[in-house]
Amino acid sequence: MSKNSREALLYIFPAAALFLIFFYWPLLQNIYLSFFSWNMVSPTMKFVGIENFTDLFASAELLKILLNTVLFVGIMLVLNFVLPYIYSFVLGHLVHRWTAFYRSALFLPSTLSLAVASILFLWIYNPLAGPLSIVLGWFDMESPRWFKENYLVIFAICTIIGWKVFGYNLIIMLAAMVAVPREMIEAAKLENASNWVIFKKIILPMTSSTAIYVFTITVVFGLQYVLVPVNMLTQGGPDQGSSNLVYIIYQYAFTFFQTGKSAAYAVITMVCYLVFLYVKNKYLEKKVYYEN
Amino acid sequence: MNLKKMLAGAMVSLLAVAALTGCGNESKQADSGKKVQIEYWHVAAESFGGATVKELVADFNKTHPNIEVVAKYNPDMYKGLTQNLQAAIASGKNPDVVQMGYSYLNYAAENFKYTDLNDAFKQAGDPKFMQDNFLPNVLELAQTDDGKQIGLPYSVSVPVLYYNPEIFAAAGLDPENPPKNWKEVAEAAKVIKEKTGNMGFFMQEYADNWTQQALIESNGGAMLKKVDGKTVAAFDTPEAAEAYQVIADMVKDGSGLHATNEEGFQAYLSGKLGMVCTTIGKRANFEKSAKFPVKAAPFPVFEGKELKVPAGGNFLMIFSKDKEKEKAAVEFIKYLESPEALAKWSTGTGYLPPRKGVAEDPKGFKKIVDENKNIQTALAMMPKVVKWASFPGANGLQAEQLLIDARDIILSGKQSAADALHQTAEKINNLL
Repeated sequence: MSKNSREALLYIFPAAALFLIFFYWPLLQNIYLSFFSWNMVSPTMKFVGIENFTDLFASAELLKILLNTVLFVGIMLVLNFVLPYIYSFVLGHLVHRWTAFYRSALFLPSTLSLAVASILFLWIYNPLAGPLSIVLGWFDMESPRWFKENYLVIFAICTIIGWKVFGYNLIIMLAAMVAVPREMIEAAKLENASNWVIFKKIILPMTSSTAIYVFTITVVFGLQYVLVPVNMLTQGGPDQGSSNLVYIIYQYAFTFFQTGKSAAYAVITMVCYLVFLYVKNKYLEKKVYYEN
Repeated sequence: MNLKKMLAGAMVSLLAVAALTGCGNESKQADSGKKVQIEYWHVAAESFGGATVKELVADFNKTHPNIEVVAKYNPDMYKGLTQNLQAAIASGKNPDVVQMGYSYLNYAAENFKYTDLNDAFKQAGDPKFMQDNFLPNVLELAQTDDGKQIGLPYSVSVPVLYYNPEIFAAAGLDPENPPKNWKEVAEAAKVIKEKTGNMGFFMQEYADNWTQQALIESNGGAMLKKVDGKTVAAFDTPEAAEAYQVIADMVKDGSGLHATNEEGFQAYLSGKLGMVCTTIGKRANFEKSAKFPVKAAPFPVFEGKELKVPAGGNFLMIFSKDKEKEKAAVEFIKYLESPEALAKWSTGTGYLPPRKGVAEDPKGFKKIVDENKNIQTALAMMPKVVKWASFPGANGLQAEQLLIDARDIILSGKQSAADALHQTAEKINNLL
């Protein structure tokens, strides 16, 4: 080993140590826990082998949880990835007045905490007294029970997350949009290219590296954001209608005190994320253009 | 030399992080002569009786020079307290007096080494204290199935029926004469919906089955029963299903609301909902927030059947490790359960006093009770208080969740109460 790389290793050591201790050690610890039945108090941990996993795979619960999770991700991709993408294109290239105002107005909600947003939307969605029910009343429509109907509850919670995350993702996308060289677009315009062609042939490839970043954080962080509104507003209800991989881990561990099952769900979640990252790297990354 | 320095720096930064994340569970062990120091764990946040706890502890310390009580607040209610208690007992730093929620009765009895209060009071030379001052049904609230007194009830709440007298008047109902049984509740809800367009009725949908238990047991049903020494679900009966169906039918015909708890309370407080069935603990908050005079009626009965309402709130447990501290803990509990202290506690929190004679005590609570009819209503229900059913065993808390899920299935009309309760009972019996 050369002196140079030894020094490099030394520099990297503090960060690497922290990373190993606080990221990878808990992951291993979690896999270990998933083979036990334990309630966090009992001095004896009962080894049960893969029983936690066989229990999970035998229950109808797992399928429902996975389906809900996919739905959550799907809706969030629309609200927090597709919409910000379109908006940033419009703001960056089509709108030329009031841009500063739009930017700050659309960014503002992401400065509020999710807990505050949850309470706010609880009021907006109130089926009897909320503003939304009043508006629906003008059209002689009765407000649905937003947080008590299957599927609808997932949509309602996604809008809370969307409200919070949309602005942040928009700003990031916008930065990429305005970084696209003007000359290129001007040149295209001279060739009489339509907005659509400009978007497809220039903007899309030039912003792809940022887009893939926003896509990834939408999926990875989005699911974690879900915990706050679900825990505050529905506790996974109605009848597990808003439960998902992240909330069920919390529920088994800290509501039911069954760390084994909770850890088993965490392992399944880890596998899901690994599959997602593998697919992303294998198929999506190839189409991405990185400037450097 | 350089390398050593760098390594040292790395170690220091690691240590700093470890110190930041590691939780310091400090306990003051001041050894000042004969003074006994005991720790009191409570869940009273600043907005919910925290100031009263401080006041009571300061008063006790002043009047008992040989004992010093240190109060410690535990966030996140009984769940948070239970988690902290696990850690404390595991490391041998037991608190002495602890507030424990009724729904954690079985969990505490099965997982912690506690002091039997009958023994403790006998040791302290006052064996009849509990029997003399508390109703037997109240003492039972903190007893295990085999009759051990694991704690002494301290705070009690009961479910009541709040209603909006203005909506009642607008619907042509008598605001002075609220519904007394469930048939009348259903009729009143329908009239309110038809005459005023407002929603008629809402029963709390917290993440527990507290009011649902009151409903089922008041119709002669039961939550749990013992079969061959094993606890099994007992709510798979016509009585329980009939009781539950009353609420489901109201939701079905549009006069009853099925929503999250907060949504229901918001609707009631903004004058869009006629009746809400929830805890008396909400009284102060409702009275303060509503623009109309909030009125409470007793939990409705099923005609010709006996009313049974589960107690919410907490009881006091002792976990002291030596006899001296145990004696001091008993002394402190006797103070907390004295009529004056209970009057302060009830005023500060909205809970009902568990002890006999506090409401008549002229030193404070009597005046408040005389002025507030809603408190009188709740106090009159004290003789009807029963134990909050708590599912035993490692899967007990999950079983509770299954019953909460059943509530959503029933109220959304997906299944009849009878079917849903039957399926849930089977699932729960598999778990227990």
